[in-house]
Amino acid sequence: MFVHSRTFWDYHPIERMQYSYSFVLLLFAAACVAGLLGALLGVGGGIFLVPAMVLVFHLPMKIAVAASVVSVIATSNAGGSSYVDQRITNLRLGMFLEIFTTVGALSGSVLALYLRDWTMQLIFAAMLGYMAYAAFATRNLDDQRIARGEFANVRPDRFSSRLKLRGDYFDEAANRDVQYVVNGVPIGSSIAYLAGLASGLLGVGGGVLKVSAMNRYMNVPMKAAVGTSKLMIGVTAAVSSILFFLAGLIHFTVVGPVAVGTTAGATAGTMIMNRLHSAWLKWLFAVLMLYLAYEMLAKGLDTGFRLHLPSFA
Amino acid sequence: MNDTTDERKNRETGQTAQHAPADLNVYADVYNVLLGGMVVSTALFCVGIVRALLRPQFVPLTPDWIKQHYRWPAIAEGIRTFDPTVLMMIATVLLILTPIARVIVSVYAFAVDHDRKFVLVTLSVLVVIVFTVVLGLFGLK
Repeated sequence: MFVHSRTFWDYHPIERMQYSYSFVLLLFAAACVAGLLGALLGVGGGIFLVPAMVLVFHLPMKIAVAASVVSVIATSNAGGSSYVDQRITNLRLGMFLEIFTTVGALSGSVLALYLRDWTMQLIFAAMLGYMAYAAFATRNLDDQRIARGEFANVRPDRFSSRLKLRGDYFDEAANRDVQYVVNGVPIGSSIAYLAGLASGLLGVGGGVLKVSAMNRYMNVPMKAAVGTSKLMIGVTAAVSSILFFLAGLIHFTVVGPVAVGTTAGATAGTMIMNRLHSAWLKWLFAVLMLYLAYEMLAKGLDTGFRLHLPSFA
Repeated sequence: MNDTTDERKNRETGQTAQHAPADLNVYADVYNVLLGGMVVSTALFCVGIVRALLRPQFVPLTPDWIKQHYRWPAIAEGIRTFDPTVLMMIATVLLILTPIARVIVSVYAFAVDHDRKFVLVTLSVLVVIVFTVVLGLFGLK
């Protein structure tokens, strides 16, 4: 493909991949599904993509994480621009929280450069398990609170007042304008840092944590949280991508189909997201997370400790 | 009179309307940057994938092979020959630059709207990005 000092046969079998039609098409299809689900759930798609690349395509964890981080930027551009256009995104809140997510992303990606693959897989599994629980626990909360107009009847905290972080958007599923007052800025900012850390370390965009932090602790309705998170994960992932790029971990031939696939999936997902009820999204989210958590746990235990759990991947 | 009442009410409750006219400038600028970056990088990725599939083969996965494409002569040669890896590398770099460009545009848009607090907020994000580049280039082995 390009002039390089070592010939193909100098590379160990685990250091190379077959760039065939089937590989590219399957990777593209997986990325489309991940992008679609990511846009529906505001999670960037990385949370589905990394397990797919490791479990199905048998790519090294770090190559998968780096490719996923770049694809997260693609979904953020696609989904983020659409949510900005629909005015679902709270730009001020997003830009404020970006300070914390980018610092977190820097810490996480530095950590990723030095950790072993199996350690990253076990951390990934733990994060998926927690997210499944968080999504399940809050599945009916949003629609009920929108119906009662509770998001608007909260006192803003000091930071929220000073930075004018209040917002509103038109919810098509509820057929009404939803107003909300942001509070809980200190705890939200702390979780935003952790989200950035997860993004850099695991290539997931960190939208999972950001959406739940905004929704649970900052009084932001699920859809506004998804739109705002979608915008933020672009910059967060860009910070991690810079470090991975300079470390030579971003494999461009892997990134190509993954980025195009996630962009296509995210564009489709964004179009239908505002018409769905939050409770359905959270159910879907919880089931998928639980399954992927188990598979990543099995992979991590297998690689790190030679412990074999039954796998359905 | 009504406006004045509303403004006073907003001040008392610490609330202001989310989509004031000044905010709309930021929304429009952010939207354009994100859309532009997405279209150009996706087009380059598509050309790269098609070129790679015209000659499907085994590709090394190691960082040293990837880094061979970072040199200027290699990039120039890659553009001249439509090398798929180089094309997709340029698309990746464009993709990474898009949200960064969005932050820069936001600094400008908030400055035009005389929103000093948010100029500082967005500038802080830029400082983190610059620090990351410096760390990546000189600070890590």
